[in-house]
Order: sequence, then C-alpha cells, then structure tokens
Amino acid sequence: MSVLLDRPAVLGRTVRAPLLFSSQAARTRGDVSLSAMTTSKDNSAKPVKSKAVAHEPVTEESEAVSEAPVVDVRTLFEDQAIPFMDQLYAAGLRMTRNPSDAADLVQETFVKAFAAFAQFQQGTNLKAWLYRILTNTFINSYRKKQRDPYQGTIDELEDWQLGGAESVTQGRATRSAEAEAIDHLPDSAVKDALQAIPEDFRMAVYFADVEGFSYQEIADIMKTPVGTVMSRLHRGRRMLRDLLSEYAVERGINTSGTRAQPATAGSKKK
Amino acid sequence: MTDCGCEKAKAELEEYLHNELAKADAADIAEHIANCDDCTGDAHVGTVLTQAVQRACRETAPSDLRDQVLLTLRTLQSNH
Repeated sequence: MSVLLDRPAVLGRTVRAPLLFSSQAARTRGDVSLSAMTTSKDNSAKPVKSKAVAHEPVTEESEAVSEAPVVDVRTLFEDQAIPFMDQLYAAGLRMTRNPSDAADLVQETFVKAFAAFAQFQQGTNLKAWLYRILTNTFINSYRKKQRDPYQGTIDELEDWQLGGAESVTQGRATRSAEAEAIDHLPDSAVKDALQAIPEDFRMAVYFADVEGFSYQEIADIMKTPVGTVMSRLHRGRRMLRDLLSEYAVERGINTSGTRAQPATAGSKKK
Repeated sequence: MTDCGCEKAKAELEEYLHNELAKADAADIAEHIANCDDCTGDAHVGTVLTQAVQRACRETAPSDLRDQVLLTLRTLQSNH
C-alpha cells in the first residue's frame, strides 16, 4: 500500500488500496506493527519515528490490491484521521489558549497531515503522528506570537524559581482530604491551573494524562529526551497539584464539611 | 517480600502511576503502597489529579471547524 500511496500523484485520484486497517491489511502486516506500537514502553521500538516507507515488501500488498475494493485516499484519511479532531482541538486549546487559534491550528494540522499522508506508515500510531504534526505546527506558527519569558530555558530553572511551593504541601491537611478537594474542583479551575504552568510542562501533562502517551512517545512528539519528558511531567504535575490544592483551600473546599485549617495552609504558601 | 520503602516508592511514584516501570519494579511499588498509608495517600492524590485533568480537557471541536477541514481536504484533492 505504501508503494501506492508514496506517489503524490495518487492523491488526486481514486486508487486501489487494500482495506487498510479494516480487515485484510490489519491481518497481514498491520498486526505486527500495531502490536509493536502499543507495547512501546520498552522503548526498543521507536514506531513513531519511522518515516521511510518506500521499501516495503510488495508481495502481500500486490495480492491484496487485486481483490480490494476501490479506496479513495481522501476517504481513507477522513476515516482514519478526522476522528482525532476533538482530541487535537483539545490539545490545541491547551497550546494556544484560545478557541480561534486552536481551530486554525487544527485546520493547518489536518492540511499538513493530508499532504504528508503518503509518508504515514499504515499500521503505526496515527494519533502520535498527528500529534507530532500538531506540535510542530504550533511551535512554528503560533508559539512565536505568544509571550513566555521562560520559553526555552524552563527546563533548567529550579523549582523555587518556578514558584513551586513544597511548603504548601507540607502544611496541608491529610492527603485524602487533598484528593477529595481536587476531585471536587470545577473543570474551569483545573483548566486555569493548566494554563498557569509553563507550556512545556503543561503539554507533557496533557500528553501523558489525557492522551495516555508513553514517555517515549511524548519524547518523540516533543523532540526531547525521555529524561526531559519525565522532568517536565513530574514538575508539571507537582505544580498543578499545588495550584489546585491552593485553590481548594481558598474556596474553602474540603472534605470534612468544616472549614479545614485554611489559615494554616494559607499562611505557609507565600 | 522485602518492602522497598517509602524512599523508592516516592521517587518512582510518578513512573508507577504512568505505567512506565518494569513489571518487577511496579510490583515492588504496588506492594509498598498497599502497606503504607502515607504512600497510599500520595498515589491516590496522583490518580485523582490525572482524572481531574482528563475531565477538564474533554472538548468537542466546533462543527464549523469540522466542515471547514472536510471542505479544505476536498479542495486540496481536486487541485492535485
């Protein structure tokens, strides 16, 4: 299939492609790459890295081609990629912080993805591939517009320079009360807290916690070493936790039904 | 059945929660958490945090964006 899709000229036409993903392709070659993809925790397979698809064995494909129904490339793209729109839009919102830029970013991402769809290796992780394009597009087109004085050096800053406040944690009520409080916060508070932490931390949290990407997949998407991903994710979550607990204390949200020591936590946080 | 202790559990809690640990390490941490109230609390906060972020980040793309993207793809294809 990749042989067919590799030619850009094919894009405009109706081509005979095997039933990608649906049945035949999945049973022949797709199965192998899919399982390699989903078990990427061991970091040995770097599935999302694979760009060179030109030299695939043609045997199964050519057989499949002769029996497969006619599949339009655009239809294929619409079937496979468009379902990720809500997720990409959600990520775009976290990146750009406003709906109109997020919509533009998603639109641009799909245009680029469609143009490059021939290079996508069927059977590998399409979601990760789309997220890589989204992230690149964001960095190239949108990040420049935004002001973030720490951008680029954020990973080197110490926690205290970022306003990370370990003391808040220590002064707090029990952990179960903290968990309960976080659990009861409105979505808007969580979104605000996400927007308040540095972009690279925010996106590491988003990729891991919302999308469930592995550290290695996030490293590929963000083009950064796995160690940096870990650091961003852990620090991002730490900051988020502190912000949310602070918010909960300020709002008097607690689990015991009484105003649980707002003074203690409040006095220690600054 | 040697408990790995709070130090290791706390150091690796994030990796544990994100399923990044090898099986044996994950089992060690799980075992410690099961026997330690403090670490159970930390793990619970970590899990609740993940769930809160997941809830807050659910979005639906505007329908005009969807229409616009599909239209653009059609235009792109016919120009090829």
